[in-house]
Amino acid sequence: MSAIRLENLVKRFGSFTALKPTNLAIGDGEFMALLGPSGCGKSTTMNMIAGMEEPSEGRILFGERDMAGVPMGRRGVGFVFQNYAIFTHMSVRRNLDYGLRMSGRPAAEVRRRTEAMADLLGLGDLLDRPTAGLSVNILQRIAIGRSAIMEPAIFLLDEPLSNVDAAFRAVMRTELKSLQRQFRQTMVYVTHDQLEAMTMADRIAVMDHGVLQQVGTPLEVYNAPANTFVARFIGSPGMNLCAGRLAQTDRGLAVDLGALGLTPPLPPALAAAARNGRSEVIYGFRPEAVHPDPAGLRLPLIVAERIGARTILHLGRGGDTVRAVFQGNPDLPADEIALAPDPAAVRLFDAATGAAIAEA
Amino acid sequence: MAEIALRSVSKRFGDTVAVDMADFTVADNEFFCLFGPPLSGKTTILRLILGLEQPDAGEIRIDGHVANGVSPAGRNIAMVFQNLALFPHMTAEQNIRFPLAERREPEAAIRARVADAAAKLHIGHILHKHPAQLSGGERQRVAIARALVRDPAAYLMDDPISALDARLREEARVELKRMQRDAGRTLIYVTHDQEEAMSVADRMAILDRGRIVQIGTPTELYDRPASPYVARLLGSPAMNLVPPGALPGTPANGAQVGIRPEDLRVSPGQGATVTGVEPLGGYTVLTIAAGALTLRAMLRGQPAFSPGEAVAVSADPARVHVFGPGGERLAG
Amino acid sequence: MTTDADRPAATRAPADEGARLGFRLTLPAQVLVLFISAFPLLMQLYISLTDWSPLTGSPWPRAWEYWNGFANYLDLVSDGRLWRSIWRTLLVVAVAVPIEFLLGLGLAMLFVDDFPGKRVAYSILIAPMMVVPAVAGYMFFMLFQSGGPVNGLLSLFTAEPVALAWLSNPSTALVAVIVADIWQWTPLMFLILLAGLVGVPQDQLRAAALLGASPAQRLVTIVIPRMKTIMLIALALRVIECIKIFDTLFIMTGGGPGDATQTLSVYIYDITTQDLIWGYVAAIALAILVVLSAGAVWAMRRMAR
Repeated sequence: MSAIRLENLVKRFGSFTALKPTNLAIGDGEFMALLGPSGCGKSTTMNMIAGMEEPSEGRILFGERDMAGVPMGRRGVGFVFQNYAIFTHMSVRRNLDYGLRMSGRPAAEVRRRTEAMADLLGLGDLLDRPTAGLSVNILQRIAIGRSAIMEPAIFLLDEPLSNVDAAFRAVMRTELKSLQRQFRQTMVYVTHDQLEAMTMADRIAVMDHGVLQQVGTPLEVYNAPANTFVARFIGSPGMNLCAGRLAQTDRGLAVDLGALGLTPPLPPALAAAARNGRSEVIYGFRPEAVHPDPAGLRLPLIVAERIGARTILHLGRGGDTVRAVFQGNPDLPADEIALAPDPAAVRLFDAATGAAIAEA
Repeated sequence: MAEIALRSVSKRFGDTVAVDMADFTVADNEFFCLFGPPLSGKTTILRLILGLEQPDAGEIRIDGHVANGVSPAGRNIAMVFQNLALFPHMTAEQNIRFPLAERREPEAAIRARVADAAAKLHIGHILHKHPAQLSGGERQRVAIARALVRDPAAYLMDDPISALDARLREEARVELKRMQRDAGRTLIYVTHDQEEAMSVADRMAILDRGRIVQIGTPTELYDRPASPYVARLLGSPAMNLVPPGALPGTPANGAQVGIRPEDLRVSPGQGATVTGVEPLGGYTVLTIAAGALTLRAMLRGQPAFSPGEAVAVSADPARVHVFGPGGERLAG
Repeated sequence: MTTDADRPAATRAPADEGARLGFRLTLPAQVLVLFISAFPLLMQLYISLTDWSPLTGSPWPRAWEYWNGFANYLDLVSDGRLWRSIWRTLLVVAVAVPIEFLLGLGLAMLFVDDFPGKRVAYSILIAPMMVVPAVAGYMFFMLFQSGGPVNGLLSLFTAEPVALAWLSNPSTALVAVIVADIWQWTPLMFLILLAGLVGVPQDQLRAAALLGASPAQRLVTIVIPRMKTIMLIALALRVIECIKIFDTLFIMTGGGPGDATQTLSVYIYDITTQDLIWGYVAAIALAILVVLSAGAVWAMRRMAR
């Protein structure tokens, strides 16, 4: 049984609480990403699942089995470190077959399985070479193979692609995903890169400062962020979040964004939920969900990033910046752009708590 | 006249050719990017410009003068290191004035230059603080101000933001672009991240194992790549390369036809199967098996495709790239 | 063909300039080192080829008057007392150093992780190394007296009181000397090996544990292989020093009883101060220098691999 359950898990280091009480259920065979900025508690959570740290409070269960007191060598998890932790004084082969040798498998079986794994990861030619001096990309493959060969039911990866160059990252993402599909493992993947999480994960657990912000599928966290943190963290670039006051206009309830102007009217369901005794809201819309509209927000252009398939515009005045993303490489007026958010894509958040305001 | 130029510069280390006949000119005030995979020669070229290495052949010209053999201190080039190397025990102002103070410039001149650099980079209000009290972005501006205060012909940066979190990198590259514009000075920048290079550069040079294979604006390189190598280097997911005529919409001439994922048209139909769906929110990447080919398509928004679905795939004929047998770009 | 020197200074590559300047700046220090190490060596070499002794009345530069070529070197080959002292020395080294090594390694492993009172324990452990060797000699002299604490401690475990005359019995004197050496120098091994242990990357140990390796397996497959160089350094250091063993031993036994604990250094001391045949002494010293240097070079070659 390789489902994982975290129950009221807490971790403190002295007076610092790295992880506040957290509950999370990861399904059997699921690819779950723990996503968040540096210091959000994702690595601490993973270390506790692996057994490298003891929880301060709460429990971790694999299936129905409480893992308290089970040492890390006995949990049957595979772990890939951010800096690979390759045994640099051993050859590639000795790294790959280490776990099998330590558990006393017969030599013939060790050989066979090592060679199969090496072929799977494209390391066949390098088997008997020393690991010192090999490129980062190869070292990462060895780190993955070394754990995968033990066929663990649970595979933990701690930012494995952060030291790898950008081009190779895309390749490795595909490989990792297909590895997981092939071996049907439960995979927990720590990253600070939302693109990586969106690409690979079945579900994403977004964390910040030791608190779980939202758990959901990539599209769920993208389309329905639970709060401003998730809204801004997911998406490239993240959602635009502008502070404003509710303003009744003759076409309906809109939001006055101060220096940025007046938004188009809110859809009725959202307008109804917004009012609720509030005068201030945070108005959110994704950069991709805008269209040119002479009657919309008129904003000066600060910088335009033309990155091939998309163009990211940075617009704003008076210190407030808003981003818009257009397909391809459109011609742009030099100074001001007039655009409006797609009504269905507008999200509102409570100005005080940052929580999403759900449609009535 | 602050021009940097390399003329047929080559450099080898033992048996390895690190730089092979590099030839380019960086214009005044330009944000020039050296881009390529690791070990393609970008850092070596930077070191050659800086004077930490001497070329085996060719000429390096800085400001119109030949700089071969001139020591780094003698060249008018400043370097901003990845870790910024700010002196932690000095205030921002003391850091910025350091290069001039070392040279015993007159005090009035130092004050004027420091004020000028601080004004350009909008850091006048934090000059009295120590680096530990500043944010990452502020520290970067201080480091650049320190580089600028010597009035260099150009300043150089080697992969300064790769160590940051993904989200911070996206913000930092826009910051860098604005800083360079504010500073009004040539910047030569090395990176291996294609999106970063395209975002910041006015022009960029693509390197392949020590050779410069194409130079141009990011848009030029993206829209008209000179070879499949350049074509696949820029853009993510990478360009699909297929045999001529393999897909509807692709011409029958040439040796390879390239279609970018965003230029593939996918609709329910026959001829191919969806094997993977990556929902990225603003757009969706589909992995499609069409006969023996594996293609990646990038569609706007969140279209409802699922793995196993049968689809029809075609290319937009106006957006294909045709490459000849030698890897050269053919007209069309 | 233009060489580096022909090109004007401004065009010389920066790396050359740095090396030249470095050479010029360290010249005074180089001369000093040369004087301190080379001069005595040459003087020794010179004297070793003569039969000179201070008893002759002439100053040492005039030693050539007593030239006898390689006679001293031939003599030392057949010098029974010399070879017996070498044998005793090697015996001490062969027993003391491995024990020091294993004890030091064991202690170092205990100190890798934190435990309450670690700082205090650390200071206590290091203390023996700080003791002046002569003082340590006297301390052990008193400890090993027939009515002394060592016998007292042993008597706790035996039926009849133990009253061994450690230092006046030829067989036990060597044991006492070895014990003193172990007490004094285990801390050094401990320090060096602890540094090596701490240098083993934590992540690799964790990775090994996660792959199912037991602590013993981790020790054998990760810790010890990564410590090979450090262990070799520690052993080489200690062996070379132990061959020169003198201070503590001399205070404890003076080389006695008889010549039971007359190690190499003690023997050289004896013939230097008593027999005053300094030509011969120089020859012995040089011969040992050559042998130890060869050993050190061999050890360093192995370490470099």
